Amino acid sequence: MEELRNDILDFLKKQGFFNEKTRLQDNDSLSETGVIDSITLLQLIDFLEAKYNIRIPVEMITPENFDTLAGISQSVIKLKNG
Amino acid sequence: MAKAKQPCKKCVLDSATPGISIDADTGLCQFCEHFTPLTPEKKEEYGSRMDSLLKSPPDKGKFDVIFALSGGVDSSYMLHRIKREYPHLNILAVQFDNGFISDTALENAQKFCALTKSTYMRLSLDQEALQVTFSKAANSFNAYPGAAKYRASDICNTCISIIKQKIIELALTTKAPFIIFAFSPGQTDAPFVTLSKPVLVWMRKLFDRNLKTMGVTDREPYLIDAHLLQPGSYNHEVMMIHPFLIWDYDKIKFKKECIQQGWIDPNLKDQNSSNCLLNAFAIKNHLDKYHIHSYAYDLASLVRQGYMKREDALKKLTLQIPDITDEEIKRKLKL
Repeated sequence: MEELRNDILDFLKKQGFFNEKTRLQDNDSLSETGVIDSITLLQLIDFLEAKYNIRIPVEMITPENFDTLAGISQSVIKLKNG
Repeated sequence: MAKAKQPCKKCVLDSATPGISIDADTGLCQFCEHFTPLTPEKKEEYGSRMDSLLKSPPDKGKFDVIFALSGGVDSSYMLHRIKREYPHLNILAVQFDNGFISDTALENAQKFCALTKSTYMRLSLDQEALQVTFSKAANSFNAYPGAAKYRASDICNTCISIIKQKIIELALTTKAPFIIFAFSPGQTDAPFVTLSKPVLVWMRKLFDRNLKTMGVTDREPYLIDAHLLQPGSYNHEVMMIHPFLIWDYDKIKFKKECIQQGWIDPNLKDQNSSNCLLNAFAIKNHLDKYHIHSYAYDLASLVRQGYMKREDALKKLTLQIPDITDEEIKRKLKL
């Protein structure tokens, strides 16, 4: 879980609006805090699919599942475990 | 004593830019620090993917492509090149009339549609309501958080978001499989974006919230028709393609080629736009509010990717912004 969270944070540092001053809690909204916009979100989906060799069904791409660090981590774990 | 601002060694951002930190060891901003250039292999892979998509588009509706045409250099060049490379495509080129596009841009757009045998559409919304909306954008503070706020001014973010929502709506209603935007490699990182229904619902919700924060009460005209996003309302997939992430981006060459095809330079005295009279005002408004040039991230990204020299980008960012249209714009926006 920690490794997954760090992978997401690394991606956000590279592609999102996230720097050393950004303080992000696990349940903070990534879109509301401005760390990602809709395009960055889709890039994040691509990144997770490639990194974890999973296919994220479009129906799963909702704010509940992909707008927080906690939601993303849980969704990826769920998909990895089939 | 205030800490002196530290410039990034590679691009045009500096430590005074909101959201930017410069690494003490490398002297690079966090974007340059983590930047990985696109390899020629990856670029070729993207090119092949675009070829396979556009060479045989799924036969679903009257149009294969809904094209966002501003009448400026980038979109005019792109329309011409797309039709040159994929002449079979049926294109609906949409020019959004935000009330501030120059007469020359209107003329250029129609000329390039005739030249490329594309269908031209001038998309107009209630002009008075639109002016009130831009006025609210100008007066807003932090309506667009982080990522969006620093990529463009509040006025331009509002305008481009309306265009995106309405163009997606057109693609859904006409069953067009592709949408093409002439975004520069500084404006987007994703060459292909699949717009699934949940993503569209999310995009709509985000923009609705931005408009609400600005105090816009009648928001529906600016958003994708909600009926189109109901379960079972449509079942075809729409993809957004950004060809400038696949082709080389060379604005000087584009302008030269456009002029050869009859494109007229509107000479707006605005270094950053060749179609919109509101652009210079939007930059100034953004600078006043956030102390950042709204093109800084865009230009920094072009420099980082090697599409622009650092000195040229810095020059663009420090040029005096023309205020010749200020009074007319303030009158229209009732500021």
